[in-house]
Amino acid sequence: MSMDLVSASPAFVLGIPLLFAFLTPLANRVSKDLRDAMFVIGLLLTALFVGIMAYEVYTSGSWIYVFGSEESRPTQTASYFRIMFAADGFSALASITMVITALGAGLYSFAYMEGNTGMEKFYTLFFLTLAGVMGMVLTADLFNLFVWFEVTSIASCGLVAFQNYKVKSVEAALKYMFISVLGGLFFLVSIGLLYGEYGVLNFFLLADALTGGMIDKVALSIIIVVFAMKASSVPMHMWAPDVYAESPGSVTPFIAITSLGSLFVLTRIIFTLFRYSFGVAAVGHLLIILGLLSMFVGISMALKQSDVKRLIAYLSVSQIGYMLMAIGVAFATLDSADYSSFGAMALEGGLFHMINDGVYKALLFLSAASVVYATGIGDLNKLGGLAHKMPYTTMFFLLGGLSIAGVPPLSGFSSKLLIYQSVYLYHPILAIIALVVSIITFALIGKIFYSAFLGPDQGLTRGEVPRSMLVAMGILTVVVILFSLFPNYVVAEIVVPAVEGLGVVA
Amino acid sequence: MNQWVIALPFITVALLISLGLYTILFKRNLIKMIMGLAIIQNGVNLFLVSLAYREGYAAPIWTSAPGEDMVLPTSHALTLTSIVIGLATTALMLSFVIMLKKHKGSVDSFKNRRCRE
Amino acid sequence: MNWEMSKIVRTVTDIMVVPIIVYGIYLIVHGHLTPGGGFQGGAVIASSTALLIIAYGSFRDHKADLSSIESIGLTLFIILALLGLFLGATMFHNYSAGTGGLFGGTVPQGINPGYINTGGTVPLMNIMVGLEVAAALSLILLMMGKASDSVEVEA
Repeated sequence: MSMDLVSASPAFVLGIPLLFAFLTPLANRVSKDLRDAMFVIGLLLTALFVGIMAYEVYTSGSWIYVFGSEESRPTQTASYFRIMFAADGFSALASITMVITALGAGLYSFAYMEGNTGMEKFYTLFFLTLAGVMGMVLTADLFNLFVWFEVTSIASCGLVAFQNYKVKSVEAALKYMFISVLGGLFFLVSIGLLYGEYGVLNFFLLADALTGGMIDKVALSIIIVVFAMKASSVPMHMWAPDVYAESPGSVTPFIAITSLGSLFVLTRIIFTLFRYSFGVAAVGHLLIILGLLSMFVGISMALKQSDVKRLIAYLSVSQIGYMLMAIGVAFATLDSADYSSFGAMALEGGLFHMINDGVYKALLFLSAASVVYATGIGDLNKLGGLAHKMPYTTMFFLLGGLSIAGVPPLSGFSSKLLIYQSVYLYHPILAIIALVVSIITFALIGKIFYSAFLGPDQGLTRGEVPRSMLVAMGILTVVVILFSLFPNYVVAEIVVPAVEGLGVVA
Repeated sequence: MNQWVIALPFITVALLISLGLYTILFKRNLIKMIMGLAIIQNGVNLFLVSLAYREGYAAPIWTSAPGEDMVLPTSHALTLTSIVIGLATTALMLSFVIMLKKHKGSVDSFKNRRCRE
Repeated sequence: MNWEMSKIVRTVTDIMVVPIIVYGIYLIVHGHLTPGGGFQGGAVIASSTALLIIAYGSFRDHKADLSSIESIGLTLFIILALLGLFLGATMFHNYSAGTGGLFGGTVPQGINPGYINTGGTVPLMNIMVGLEVAAALSLILLMMGKASDSVEVEA
């Protein structure tokens, strides 16, 4: 009968956002300041418990948290029927990414969403989305994964359509919701298939039980497609540009984070369930093809965009391709000697790119939102000369942009270098395509920078965006700079434990 | 005969899911498309409930149960969760359609396309 | 527009609303013994709201109250779950089962006719969920009715 705060931190990572999601509407009845304070306190407490969990994982190893169990740290197979959370390096990496972006987007929302009514509902949806993505990356149970998947879908669609007087936002949200619900239903069918076959839903027990029969293949293929869809991989990407471009600027990075969360889940499912069931090469090749398609189609579609948010949305689709490709290469080589020579490096590169991508993409989306906020214009042909009045936003955009393009010495470069090196050894053409896509990304960032920020002052804006928005972008900037300055430290302390958390030793 | 009785729910599931997919793919009215989604949802729920059936076992309710052999209620829990989530998603999507109808005056999916490629 | 259905419908509605709500409460309170529980009972209670909207056509604006009931129900639910961490070992730990007090009776092993004063935190959570679902579904019905311009909402 003792409370072990450290062991229970995975439960708090979920419980705190859920509690505050329902407390903020109550606080709103007292006063608006209390409501806003609740929002910040909730975000900071979540970050605190993510920190506690991550610190414990990095200092004394991973553990399993079982809901309702008397033991504080039971073994993996302790229970057939209880819900389990895996607190390992991989969960730590994923939840750190989520919480950094949530802090940035949350602080940014204060000034950006000012003037909207019903902000307590915005905070509720924000916390529910946060709880949903945290649950998705922490859980080690398919049934529970389905629940968090749907919580994330519903809450994030609510966020997309929050400004419901904008008809395009509503349309994008309906599209996203439709696809998510359809995906969720097929995910449920595959859960049913696996449960009917083996009678277990826990990742670890299921991994032991899987035999690689026809039903397993059908079920796991459906799961791959569903999560690749939610991760906005081509050819299931058509919802992503609409949703990213039409959602309120402050929540766009948060929606992007839910698709990154799906990529985390996809990685975990592949490495825990597929690993022990049947051949790895086919799945690896599938992921490489999805990755190449995402990179290529994403960047080609970005070329013809003139709306700044839509352009960045397509860039984000192409970035998902890098991670899919890296994971695919790592997985395809998993059972051979190639894994130790370059497969492990590809996996490290992919995971490092995920955490980098989450942060710099948030910075990029927020600086684009600042441009739209300050000028009311999103069309690159009409923008120009913003650097005169908005020096900080210009700096933040440049940093995020150069990072997404993989320009040394920024964080995007460190992770892309790992991917290039390892992927080249698998097949040179993959690395060449990745490099070309990076160069085009650089050109596109140059295009936005040139047409929106450079040139003579056109008097489109009266000045810089409010200070709280600058602080939010500043937090993300500090993280990008830290990752850029100490890539070796990040790889050794955060990425390598994550690789170990996936059950493969580098 | 018994074989057929056990297979019957699964045939219904296949029919329901095909019907729902047909509705989604070939109807332009957004409300009908959401109805198609609801039909698929019911098909999936029926699938999960049918999976839980074991011959000779009772429903997992201890109150005045006929015997101690009971099925494991995991699939029932899944189905209930799915029904609850289905209610939330359907309500949310219908609200979106109401908003679109108010803005645009139409529930036709082709006439509501504003987002560019 | 404001419309009312005929007096017969309204009278039957007035009579039927009471048993519907009582049945909903029964489902919620017996949730740990028989099929049913918070969601089902709450949905049954909300169906009385649907009946009232259809029969009377107009409704006072209870949005703020309903939304508070919803938040209170969910907040208490999460607090009950988190209390498990402090009183037991993990979240959702059933700390009050078999300790006496409200719903704290001990359950005999095996098949039994169902004792309502058992279940620990489970019936409490059912009640919270029932509150939440009844309020939330009524809110959805009111909002949708308002949006479709067939129900008049008085401020």
